[in-house]
Amino acid sequence: MTSVTQPAHGRPQRPRRLDAFALASEPGNERLAISRVAETASSAGISAGRLERLKTAVAEATMNAIEHGNKNHAEIPVDVEVTLDGDEITVAISDQGGQDAGPADQAAEAEAPDLAKKLDGLQSPRGWGLFLIRNMVDAMQVTTDGQRHTIWLTMRTSAPEGAEHDEQV
Amino acid sequence: MTSRCETTTRTMPGAAVIELSGEVDGSAADVLTAAYQDAVTGTDLGIVVLDFASVVYINSTGIALIVSILARARAERRKVVASGLSAHYREIFDITRLSDFIELFPDLDNAVSELTGPAA
Repeated sequence: MTSVTQPAHGRPQRPRRLDAFALASEPGNERLAISRVAETASSAGISAGRLERLKTAVAEATMNAIEHGNKNHAEIPVDVEVTLDGDEITVAISDQGGQDAGPADQAAEAEAPDLAKKLDGLQSPRGWGLFLIRNMVDAMQVTTDGQRHTIWLTMRTSAPEGAEHDEQV
Repeated sequence: MTSRCETTTRTMPGAAVIELSGEVDGSAADVLTAAYQDAVTGTDLGIVVLDFASVVYINSTGIALIVSILARARAERRKVVASGLSAHYREIFDITRLSDFIELFPDLDNAVSELTGPAA
């Protein structure tokens, strides 16, 4: 994930860490991640519409880490780190479920959510988490290093030109 | 920090209205199921309006609950519509395709007047 960017006006810059914190793996603690990441991303100048999308992605990724990665064991932390690289905010959310297939890996292998099938009882009504994450952020990456399993969510602070619909709140 | 889902149900001519507030997540399952049951029991109302104007948070489990309500309503040949969604949650209804099955209205007054006519 290390990268170097060359701003138009100055020296190369490495991603700058804006915040890092750990959460107990207890249901509901995704709210703590949402509020803290939102505060940091707002300070970095993210637009209102993009902030709402990032908040949803952070919520879902943190819920996955708590429930599927750390199996709701409160003593096992979920680590959250927020970095800024140019106009790109990256939120890295890590659990300790890496020896098993990680939650995102498991979900990626599952059948994609199909609402028509769900309404006909052919799929569970659930299974929207990873689908929402993928559709909310500009880029998503999953890495596993031994036990540690991390999902990386990257979001630019503003939409590319011509994507005004991105900015609705 | 969290705000539990609460509901208020009422009946309009031809439609049952469920007004939701707070957070629509896994903890809302019993509340939402009971509200639907309360809204339609003993009626032949063909439309159920879900009003989200006072909802502050919907997560993937909340989406699953809405899918379950929609599936049940369809099995009972009732139409489900939604009002009061923020732009962000309208987008989520679009990408999940919920908006293909649930007509969206800007607010409850608009939904009721459109669905039940000027006499409502």
